[in-house]
Order: sequence, then C-alpha cells, then structure tokens
Amino acid sequence: MEIRIKGLIRNYYSEGKQIKALDKVDLTIPANEIFTLLGPSGCGKTTLLRCVVGLENPDGGEIMIGDQLVWSSEKKIFVPPEKRGLGMVFQTYAIWPHMTVFDNVAYPLQTRKLPKEQIRSKVRKVLGFVQLDGFEGRPATKLSGGQQQRVALARALVAEPKVILFDEPLSNLDAKLREDTRKELRRFLSELKITAVYVTHDRIEALALSDHIAVMRAGRIVEIGSPKKIYFNSDHRFVADFIGRANLIKGKVIREEGNHAVFDSAIGQIVGLNSQKIAPGQEAMLCIRPEFMKLATTEVGEGKNVFCGKLETLVFIGEAYEGEVRIGDTLLTTTIEPTEDITEGDEIYISFDPDHCFLLPV
Amino acid sequence: MFKKPSLTFSLILIVGFLTVCPVLMLLFGSFSEGLTSFGSFTLDKYIEGYTDPILREVLLNTIIFTVGSALVATTLALFLAYVNTRTNLPFKFLFSIISIIPMMIPHILFSVSWVLLLNPSNGILNRFLMQMFGLDGAFFNIYTLPGMILVEGLLDLPIAYLIIAPAMRAFDVTLEESSKVCGASVLRTLFRVTLPVLRPAILAAAILVVVRSLASFAVPSVVGMPGRIYVLSTYIYRSISSGFAADFGKAAAIGMSALVASIALIYVYRYLTSERGKFVTVSSRGFKPTLLDLKQYKFPVFLIVGLLCFVLIVLPVLVLFYTSMLPYSMVPSARAFAMMSWNNWIDVLKDPISLLSIRNSLTLGVVGATLGVVLSIFVSYVIVKVRSKASGILESLSFLSFSFPGIVIGVGFMWFFVQTPLYGTIWALLIGYIATYLPYGVRPISSAFVQIHDHLEESSRICGASTFYTMRRIVIPLLVPGIVSGWILMATMFVRELSLSVVLSRPGSEVLAVQILHFAEDGLWGKLSALGIMMIFLSSTLVVAATLIGKKLTRMEVVDT
Repeated sequence: MEIRIKGLIRNYYSEGKQIKALDKVDLTIPANEIFTLLGPSGCGKTTLLRCVVGLENPDGGEIMIGDQLVWSSEKKIFVPPEKRGLGMVFQTYAIWPHMTVFDNVAYPLQTRKLPKEQIRSKVRKVLGFVQLDGFEGRPATKLSGGQQQRVALARALVAEPKVILFDEPLSNLDAKLREDTRKELRRFLSELKITAVYVTHDRIEALALSDHIAVMRAGRIVEIGSPKKIYFNSDHRFVADFIGRANLIKGKVIREEGNHAVFDSAIGQIVGLNSQKIAPGQEAMLCIRPEFMKLATTEVGEGKNVFCGKLETLVFIGEAYEGEVRIGDTLLTTTIEPTEDITEGDEIYISFDPDHCFLLPV
Repeated sequence: MFKKPSLTFSLILIVGFLTVCPVLMLLFGSFSEGLTSFGSFTLDKYIEGYTDPILREVLLNTIIFTVGSALVATTLALFLAYVNTRTNLPFKFLFSIISIIPMMIPHILFSVSWVLLLNPSNGILNRFLMQMFGLDGAFFNIYTLPGMILVEGLLDLPIAYLIIAPAMRAFDVTLEESSKVCGASVLRTLFRVTLPVLRPAILAAAILVVVRSLASFAVPSVVGMPGRIYVLSTYIYRSISSGFAADFGKAAAIGMSALVASIALIYVYRYLTSERGKFVTVSSRGFKPTLLDLKQYKFPVFLIVGLLCFVLIVLPVLVLFYTSMLPYSMVPSARAFAMMSWNNWIDVLKDPISLLSIRNSLTLGVVGATLGVVLSIFVSYVIVKVRSKASGILESLSFLSFSFPGIVIGVGFMWFFVQTPLYGTIWALLIGYIATYLPYGVRPISSAFVQIHDHLEESSRICGASTFYTMRRIVIPLLVPGIVSGWILMATMFVRELSLSVVLSRPGSEVLAVQILHFAEDGLWGKLSALGIMMIFLSSTLVVAATLIGKKLTRMEVVDT
C-alpha cells in the first residue's frame, strides 16, 4: 500500500522555544517496498513515523495510507492508531511482560474478534515464519533480546497489515546479533510483499535493507534515492558525508565533458561525474570515497586523476589498512589492501576512476 | 486519560490538606493555651515545656535509645547482608524470611512478648534461668534502657537490612578483588574497602532507624514506662493522657522539636539514598562475586542466623499463644500445661470494648486501605506519567509524611479534629491513617507505573485495541501487583496502628492496638495475648485475601484469551 504525505508539519515547544520536528514534509512511500528514513538523532524521522502510525498528531498537512485519508489538518480528519490497520515494531520491542508469547502475538487478532481456532492457526503460522515454533507457552520475559525482537515482529505481522513500521528495531541488540538479525529481517521482508517503513540512524542498516532511502535533517527530507544512487552519486553534500566515509575536496568547475566535468582543486585537475550539471566557473565540492582509490608505489603512467603524495599514517584494522595520503596541503583518507607491502613515509601514487567520484554543489 | 492539569491540582489540594494541615495545626496549637483556645498566641507552652527539669533526662534517654537502637539494628543488618551476599552459607531463604515476615508482627505485640519473657518479677525466661542456675535476682531486667534498645533494635532490623542488602548486592566486586590482588587479607579488605564504600547505605540505614525509634511508641510505652524511663514520645503521651489535666499545648510544643528533628534526619536520609550521595561504585555488569567459604565457621554463623529468625518470628507468637492459655504467668511445666484453658479467649470475645476494637480496626484496615490505594493510584499516575513541575510538588507532598512521628502528628490532627464533628469518630482515625501512611501506598504503585513503558500502551493501540481495551488488558494487569502490595502494606499498618490512634482514639472509636495497650497497662497479659493473636490472625487473613484476589485478577487475564 502506498503512503502519501503532504506538507506535514509538527512543532515541539521546549523552554518556550519552537522546534520544527517536521518542516513541511512531502513524501511518497511506494507500495511493497522497504523504505528507510535515515538521519542523525533529532532529525524528525521517528516523529514522522509516529505521525504515520497515529501516535502523534501533526500540526499541519495530510497523510494518506492507500486511498484512506488518515490525517488532514484542513479537513479535520483523524483516524486513531487502532483503526489504521498497521503493524509496528518498537525500539524497546514493547513486549507485554505479563503475557506469554502466544498471548502477545494473538493480541491483534483478539482485538479483531477472530474465532479462537483461526487465531491459534494464524499465530502458529507466523511464529513458524519467524522461527519461534514451540515458544507459544513461554512467558515473554523469559526470552533473549533477539527472540523478543522476533516476537515483536510476529505480533506486527500476524494481522497481515498492508504496512509495517519499524522504529530502530535493531539498536538494542549487540553488534554481532544485530548483523544476523539484519540479514534475517531482509529475508523476511522480501518474502512478504509488504510496504515497510524503517527508521534508523545506522547507515549500514539503511544501505543493507532498503529499496529506497530518504535522508532527513532538521525536520526536512534532504534526498531520496536507492542505496546505490545515494552512495555512489549523491546530490547533496550532507548526504554524501552521512552515508559513508568521504573525502571532500573544494574547487571550481572548469569545463563540462558529457556526464563528467573537469574540476580544478588544490591537488590538481580532477575529472568526475557531474550529474547535477554544475556550470563551468562555479565553485563545487568533489567527493571520493576511500575504497575507490587505487594505490601504486611506482608511477602508473599518464592518465586521468593520478596524483602523487606521501603516505603519512598507516593503521592496520584487519580487513584493510587505513591510510592518510598527503598531497600538498590536502590530506586524503584511503583504504589499502591488507596484503600491500608499504610503510609510513613512502611516496605513493593514487588514482581513481572518473566514474567513481562525483561533484556536489557547495 | 484525564484532564491533566486539573487532576494534578486537585490532588495537590487533597494530599496537601492531608500532610500540611496537621503540621500547621501542630504549629498553631503549640502557641495556644489549650484545645479550647486555638489561635490565641502565647509562648507559655514552650516556656513551660522546655523548662521542665525532667525534659533533660527525657532528651538524654531519647538520644541513647535512638542511637543505641540504630547501632543494634545496623550492625545486625550489616552482618546478615554480608553473610547473605558474600558467603556460602546454606539455606539462604532464611534471609528473605527475616526481611519480610517480622513486618507482619505488630510492634506492640513484639514488645509485649519480650516483657513476658524478661520482666524482672515473673518473666518466663528470667524465671527459667533463675531455676536453672539458682540465681537470686532476675537474669535481665527488660524495663531498662538496654532492654528498650534490644527490643527496638530487633524491630528495626528488617528495615535496615532492606536498605543495606541491595547496596551490598550492587557493590562492584572488582574493588574488593583489586584489594586482594594488592595483597590485603579478607578482613583488611572488609574494613578498608567494602565498609567504607558502603558507608552511605549504612549511614542511611542507621538514620532511618533513628527516625523510626524516635517515632516509636510501642517499645517506650510497653517496655520503658513500667521502669519510669521516658523518651520524647512517651513524655508527650503522658502530658495528653493524664485525664482532666491533658495538656495538648505542651504536647504540641514538645512535639515540634521531635518533628523538626525527624524531618531534618529524613532530609539527610534522602540525600544519602539519592544519586548524588552515592559513590560511583554500582556497576551494571553482571559479575557474580566469589563467595567466601566459611569452612568450620559455617555452623556457628548459621546458628546465629537461625537464632535471629527464631527470636524475630517464632518466639513472639509462641510466647503470646502460651500466655493466652494460662490464668497467670508461669514457666512451662507439667502444671502449667495442665492449667491451660480457653478462658482468656472467651473473656475477650465477651468483652464489648475488645469486640468493638476488632470491628473498628477491621473497618479501618479494609476501608482505609482501599481509599488509600485509590488515592495512591491517582497520585502515582501524576508523579510518574504527567511529570510536570506541579507533579514534582505532589511527589514531595506525598512523601512528607514519611518523616512524621505518629504521636506528634496525632497531636496535630487532634487540634484539627476538635473543631470538626469528626472528633472522636473512627473517620478521624481513617483520615489520620491515610495521611500518615500514604507513602506506603504510593511507593509500590508508582514503581508499578514506572514499569509500564509508554510503548506498551502504544503498541496495544496499533494492534487495534481501543483505549478501554488497552486499560483492561495491558495497564490494569501490569498495575495489579503494585496495587495489591500497596493495599497489603496499608491494611496491615492500619490494623496494627498504635501511635496515632493513642491520641485520636476516644471511647467508641477504640482500635486493637490501643485496647492492647490498655490491657498492658492493667497487666491483663492473658487477655492481651488472646486479643493479640486475634490481631495477627486478622492481618494475616487480610494479606492472604488480598493476595488471592490479586492472583485472580491476573489469572482472569490468562483465562480470557
């Protein structure tokens, strides 16, 4: 089911000051996709999610879920959360401690007054789906964090909602478990054909899970795109920096070359993607990610985007080296193969493909 | 759920009336000539009260009594807490018994049982030891300051234990381990690391015991007064109970200093138990301490713990029951058992005033606890879920009475009720009880509210449940355990209440503890014991009934699905 949000406003008041948690947000979340709201804490992503669910009332705008208008400030329409037919997984899981696993999962069906036999078979089916067969009679508090998380997921899914919402569901798990659960969640959701809205501040989670990502900052949506688009060729400096490690180099566009542009910077001329068509003469910023830099200890011949510098620091982190290369006054971060035989202080040549770096407006 | 600002406001009014009114009345009363001339400003009562030559001795007694009780209770609690958390002593369940069960035995009965055992003329234990060892005089005279300190210290042991044991459990063991790594012995580590780090908790426990023994009336009246040893609470009692010459102005003037001392001590206590007062030692990491192997000391240590259990729980009930069956006090013997009968029980059940006191106490327990719990639910809701500036005021107000010495606040209430038609009725007692024991309801219920994270309600709404359905299936079931323990605490407190009742109770509004005190003053130990056992039975019945109803309410939840 598609979700359409128009001009959504939500203000908070703290010590007499107005804080715009949502500042006229327009957003369409396509049906049957995993859609992620990503941003630093306080950017408004959770507020947006809570408005969609109905736990918070916006100060202006409209929300449509499918063809049902669930909120409209103008038309004074408010559909309460229990009538929106959604599923949600909370950061705290919100598992009811006084109930068994069965009762927790059966709850949404009981509120819909389904016959007991049907409730039992549906609960059994969904518990099987999240791999909790045989846990029905267990008190909900006697479960591990990961298991509680799956109970929360089963409860959100059992009534077969058209939309399921996640509010940072993995942030209470430890690092290793989080990685496993992320993969599992990806598998569950891709099997389900369901619209999923996922809120997180973790960029890796967002990249790994989503079909589309909306990056938010200060109550606004900055950019929407597929994970690859946002990673490889973002339109916005904040997004480029937030979604992954990035070297940002200042300079000026000299001329356009098809999709690319030649860019003049402190380290020399660089050719990079110019999908936003920044005109020659304009100030711009070039973004190159550390893992796209190639290194050589001897000169690799004439080519585009080849620079010579000095390896200033080199840190071994297991899967790779992290190096810092100084070219004049500019310090670039690179990722180096762990098997490479180099040491700090070496003279080094770095090069990168014009398709792997991109220009951003300042 | 409610219109919040007006709810908070009306609660502040109600709780404010309950807790601030008696204090103000006490203050104004202390500047008045007597109950009939309220509001006339005079310093006479202060001058009269504080120049009384006996007062010096009373104050000295009070200090020795409170500090001594604190020493006894804290030392024993520290020992028990250490043995429980740090050693491999078997039968650890004894510790949870020690910390809970004694609270079910009313203080006045506990004091009476020790008088029956150790009074100088015919104390059972004294007589027994005299016969055994051919002593001329009593082995131990309970009617002395050491006797009072012993009984009060034992009575306050559970509360001291409940403060010290959790601190001991939360203690970061690596601090001890690093001391051992540095080469210190077990004892050296205990005195140089463990005890100093736990100092805030130990001090907090000691201060609380001082406050409670300052407020204590049962021990000073039953154990102290026969030996003419007066402390502040009995001194106040004497000035209001002497028939026609009852002097409430003087009682209020003296009571003011007890109240001020008590409030100041509670302030220190709250500072010590707040986050600021604590050392940064409580770690959330789940390290299990390595248990100290007691080896050959295992049996002696176990004997001490077992003896404490026996002395705190079994002995008082046993002594009372034994005495209730006999016409007069005697050492257990074949003759004594031959003379046993139910006569005392029958006498009590025929005595109209005893019956009235049973009825009154039962009414006060059930109705009072129910009203008190309802008020506590609203107060806790505002304190935990509304969290505004006004709810902060409400929180302070509702915990104010925690520091009230019962007899002093009773005098304050007296000044108020005299001017209302409630004077001399059990409704005056009801209002006084709820005001004084409100924290006992608010504490468990507000921690139940804390447990209900907003997400638990919100996820219910998203699952399709209405507000009402959410209340029924999520909020109420999660609150029930807190409500039940709040009700039990209040009901048992009300059934046994003595220090407030001794001031407010009048002919017609007698309650159990006051009737028992009268029996003690008249030396009617057999009747007293029979009524006492009935009192214990009554409050145990209330506890069991409340627990069963609570279980049923939670079980309904499961059956329902």
